[in-house]
Amino acid sequence: MAPTVRSAWIQGLHSLAQHPGALGFLADLGAVDRLLTLQGDPSLFVVTAAGQLLVHVLGLALHNCGPPCGPPLDPQWPLLASSLLAQLEEALQPASTPQLLQALGVLTNAFTSCPAPWAPALWGRLRPAMTCLLEGQPLQAPHALGDLLLAVARSPEVVVDLGPWEMLALVLGRLEPSQGGQLALGVLQLPECPQALRAQAFGVLLQPLTCVLSTSTDAPGLQELPPSAVGGSASLDLLLASRSACVGLLCCALARLALLPPLPWRPSPWPQAFLLGAVVAVLRSCNGHVPISAAGGRLCAALVGCERVQRAALDLLGALAQDAGPPELVLEVCGVLLEHVDSPDSSPTVLKKAFQASLTWLPHADKKPHPCGLQVPAQLFLPELLQVLRKRLCSPSWEVRDSGLEFLTQAASLWAGQADFRQMLQASEVPPLARQLLRDPESYVRASAVIAVGQLSSGGLWAHPGDQQGSPLEGLLDMLDTDPDAFPRRAILQVLTAWLRDTHGPLAAHPEPLLARAFQAAGRDPDWEVRARGLELAREFLVQTLGRIGVPCPYVPTPLLDTPPADTQALHPACRTRLFEFVFPALFDYDRPVARAACELLLLLRAQTTTCATPPQAGDTPDPATVEAALHCWRTGEAGRPLGELVPQAVLAVLQALDLDDLRGTLADGSDHAEKSPLSLLQDMLAAAGAQGHNQVDCY
Amino acid sequence: MLDCGMHMGYNDDRRFPDFSYITRNGRLTDFLDCVIISHFHLDHCGALPYFSEMVGYDGPIYMTHPTQAICPILLEDYRKIAVDKKGEANFFTSQMIKDCMKKVVAVHLHQTVQVDDELEIKAYYAGHVLGAAMFQIKVGSESVVYTGDYNMTPDRHLGAAWIDKCRPNLLITESTYATTIRDSKRCRERDFLKKVHETVERGGKVLIPVFALGRAQELCILLETFWERMNLKAPIYFSTGLTEKANHYYKLFITWTNQKIRKTFVQRNMFEFKHIKAFDRAFTDNPGPMVVFATPGMLHAGQSLQIFRKWAGNEKNMVIMPGYCVQGTVGHKILSGQRKLEMEGRQLEVKMQVEYMSFSAHADAKGIMQLVRQAEPEAVLLVHGEAKKMEFLKQKIEQEFRVSCYMPANGETVTLPTSPSIPVGISLGLLKREMVQGLLPNTKKPRLLHGTLIMKDNNFRLVSSEQALKELGLAEHQLRFTCRVHLHDPRKEQEMALRVYSHLKSILKDHCVQHLPDGSVTVESILVQAAAHSEDPNTKVLLVSWTYQDEELGSYLTSLLKKGLPQAPS
Repeated sequence: MAPTVRSAWIQGLHSLAQHPGALGFLADLGAVDRLLTLQGDPSLFVVTAAGQLLVHVLGLALHNCGPPCGPPLDPQWPLLASSLLAQLEEALQPASTPQLLQALGVLTNAFTSCPAPWAPALWGRLRPAMTCLLEGQPLQAPHALGDLLLAVARSPEVVVDLGPWEMLALVLGRLEPSQGGQLALGVLQLPECPQALRAQAFGVLLQPLTCVLSTSTDAPGLQELPPSAVGGSASLDLLLASRSACVGLLCCALARLALLPPLPWRPSPWPQAFLLGAVVAVLRSCNGHVPISAAGGRLCAALVGCERVQRAALDLLGALAQDAGPPELVLEVCGVLLEHVDSPDSSPTVLKKAFQASLTWLPHADKKPHPCGLQVPAQLFLPELLQVLRKRLCSPSWEVRDSGLEFLTQAASLWAGQADFRQMLQASEVPPLARQLLRDPESYVRASAVIAVGQLSSGGLWAHPGDQQGSPLEGLLDMLDTDPDAFPRRAILQVLTAWLRDTHGPLAAHPEPLLARAFQAAGRDPDWEVRARGLELAREFLVQTLGRIGVPCPYVPTPLLDTPPADTQALHPACRTRLFEFVFPALFDYDRPVARAACELLLLLRAQTTTCATPPQAGDTPDPATVEAALHCWRTGEAGRPLGELVPQAVLAVLQALDLDDLRGTLADGSDHAEKSPLSLLQDMLAAAGAQGHNQVDCY
Repeated sequence: MLDCGMHMGYNDDRRFPDFSYITRNGRLTDFLDCVIISHFHLDHCGALPYFSEMVGYDGPIYMTHPTQAICPILLEDYRKIAVDKKGEANFFTSQMIKDCMKKVVAVHLHQTVQVDDELEIKAYYAGHVLGAAMFQIKVGSESVVYTGDYNMTPDRHLGAAWIDKCRPNLLITESTYATTIRDSKRCRERDFLKKVHETVERGGKVLIPVFALGRAQELCILLETFWERMNLKAPIYFSTGLTEKANHYYKLFITWTNQKIRKTFVQRNMFEFKHIKAFDRAFTDNPGPMVVFATPGMLHAGQSLQIFRKWAGNEKNMVIMPGYCVQGTVGHKILSGQRKLEMEGRQLEVKMQVEYMSFSAHADAKGIMQLVRQAEPEAVLLVHGEAKKMEFLKQKIEQEFRVSCYMPANGETVTLPTSPSIPVGISLGLLKREMVQGLLPNTKKPRLLHGTLIMKDNNFRLVSSEQALKELGLAEHQLRFTCRVHLHDPRKEQEMALRVYSHLKSILKDHCVQHLPDGSVTVESILVQAAAHSEDPNTKVLLVSWTYQDEELGSYLTSLLKKGLPQAPS
């Protein structure tokens, strides 16, 4: 029988086993025994599905019989659960490795899904078998065993018992440093855990870094470490056994440690100085700085140019930025980051991570704020960083230019208010370079340049804001018309919307002609996301001209307003920008998100204008036939303007003629809702049955 | 990991692979050295941004330069359709596609790329689509070749796949057309041109739904040359924005196209079309004949569906589906013969002609056999095909090439026995010692050589045991085996020893057997002593001891003594 059939059989049983009454039926048919056999299936999918079903059956059997009766640690088990557990216990023998692994997997999942009152009883039942397993030489399936113990430890009903902690400590102690990392991380991620075990686990994670630091002459913060972290020369030899072993072990340790800083229950005291020193040492070794000792030379030989380690170390460095550290170490951190950003050997991915880590480090570099604004290390390093950034923006690799621009955008948004930063940035050649990149051959880079230029303009970070070179607005609007790629065009509309929101931004004075150009370009753009961004811009403009339109809420028919309804005069600015010539056709856009956005916008507008204070004068309003003709034009995408230039009265007439609520209902369905209907499915099946024989499939 | 594709037939979780099968605990980056993408089709790269930006793989991704350039366009196309069609929020974003592409390392054909100390990869031309490559993956002396999708016959814009005789331990090959011997592609092309021409001649419109790149360019070349030759005037349009971009890449990567295109490039670039213009939405209602290439290819959203709605009611028009359509799409419905469709709450009657034409560029059974012959693998593994067809091809490969062929189902593990050859350096001292015996090393005549194997810094060296001791700073120890043999014999120990001596002397004629003054018997390094049994005076114990060097003789001698001594004359 094909594995797909076996998988499907299990899935069928799983559906059946949703009903408690089906359990007895399944047990009588021998399905549970069969599922246990399928734990040894050659197909990974079958094994997994069978395991999941066994867990489900066990959980359901326990759930059905209510809370346990009898002594808490030896209650009366339901028959099905008891027989299933007996078979799993049998598999917990040191000799039966494949079955042992499967059984441990099932029991691990069982602990996470079994009814809470049963957890202590389950643990009580398994404990003897687990003890026996832990006494085995060598220790069998240590990782799966660790996972089970962690699952037990996560169960609040069980943790009053010391059993799982002792066993976890035992397993952790019996694992090689290279094997124990994942279990150690699991222990440290437990919110509640005995301090001694936590220290032991932390020691396992720190050990590779202790070895790294032991190769250098000055090792900061070693005294902060738990004793289990300090390995002897044997650990060092193990680390340096081969390049691949060293790289693998260090990467795992660095990545796991990077997960700890955000945890509220992270180990305390937290060895910040030690970790910073170790990461700096690792990064230096990767860059070819050889520590004086012989072991340091070997370490450097193993790590030099290793991108994998660099990426993991930079991630950890970024994570460590939430705390500071001794000033001299912070300076070292900044130095090593600068080294990585500057090094011609840094790959684009390493460079990106170095930029990201720099962003997290520089603002938090010193706790004491400097009277001028930026903190001391930032003051020292920012000019150099900007110098390097200038170089990076000219890189032949698009990835590097793009990461550089992303860094610039984020830096500008973080520090635009800092006088020192403004001065340094304006003195550098970075802003004009960012502007030059608006003409980059790579569309991703042009889009990032648009965002960066937008941010620099919002922050008033151009060197000479007054002159013609200062405002890039015209250039961006030209790009919106001419750029062949969608990413930069989308970015331009995003920037225009941000500028419009900003009352002091480049669009603050006389925005109408510029917006008219933007709406016209967005309306004829082939990319639906550009059109959708155009609608966001339109919405923002309406918000500003009509007063605050409430937060869009599809469940509330009237807007959440405390402002009075708008009068037709308020629509004049929007009409002058020809906003409605863009929004009305968008309502019938063949790309659904655009139509949906236009519909939402018009609904808000309608709610704002239906109670219009000034009733329309006779003769102002277009006749229904002309409105209908205009609707037809927009619906079919034909040219022609039956309503001429849209004036406020015509806009209101169209709004009244449209059944927007009905349209919203239609647009709320996915565009494939008709294809997904049962009728459609039935038609497909019938058609497929009729077309059997010529069903040649062309997979690309 | 070889390829990272998605399933076009699903809109839910099942569309992407379940990466938790790789690991449930720990980071994927710790389990994978790299990801290799064979070509830009979504069933080979569609899950890449999900994998790298949402699941969290942070390692390198290898692909060829054209794939690197085109892949993000198709991913973006796919993302837009998913978001547009379903309004899916939990989907990868444009930013994620970009971040994913930043992790890509582009490779050249035939360039050996060292992924890490142990792993190296090399790309070979695969035809199929622009930039498609087969990859050889090598660790030490063991290697695997993964073909991705390939085509062994050149087509209008691409050449045929090629690989050198790299003799991999395993060849993983696609088997889409495992049992098919494809009809000539020229026939299919003629058929296509005839149908388009007839429709245009009678004033009808032809809609060809396509994906942005790949098949579309091939059909464009086909129509362009036909229009030129026949001097046809009906306009041909291509979805706006896509032609320029796609053709830009075909121009850029001209070296990846076939010889004919490369040759004519000097006079005229095949991808600078004279007859094919950018499409505008307003053209849909233009009177008269026209041909439109519109995206997406399965008629499930966007421009192609919009045009289809407008043209479907006219029997003069035609829609040609040049690719696969998944269940649930309008493309699938009309191909399965449905003529009444419900669209946007209205019934649409399809009167236009519906044609399906396969232009897919996969190797057929003959092509697959040809590749196996070319690469000479030790074993073959079939993927990307239907089980029944694979079974046929498997038998054929096993018969013809006498190699094992596997076709595991998804999720099944195949274990391959290999005999890796591990280079071992031999010390000069040991080599000289061997040569003293008059035997020069000869690769054709392998022979046994004794020495001590030292594994250090990932190197293997065979040295003399003395040198090994010296290098490792170890003292020499003698290892002796000892054994007790109980014999029922009431005679005295000295007499017993003498009998042992006589017995061994008579049997081991080639060895030096001695009877020492202390009563012990020696044969080479083997020492035999007779002793009385502590409890039974009628039983004697023979203590046999020998060195490791005489292990064979010692074992033999012990078994000999266990059989007992010959009866002494009374």
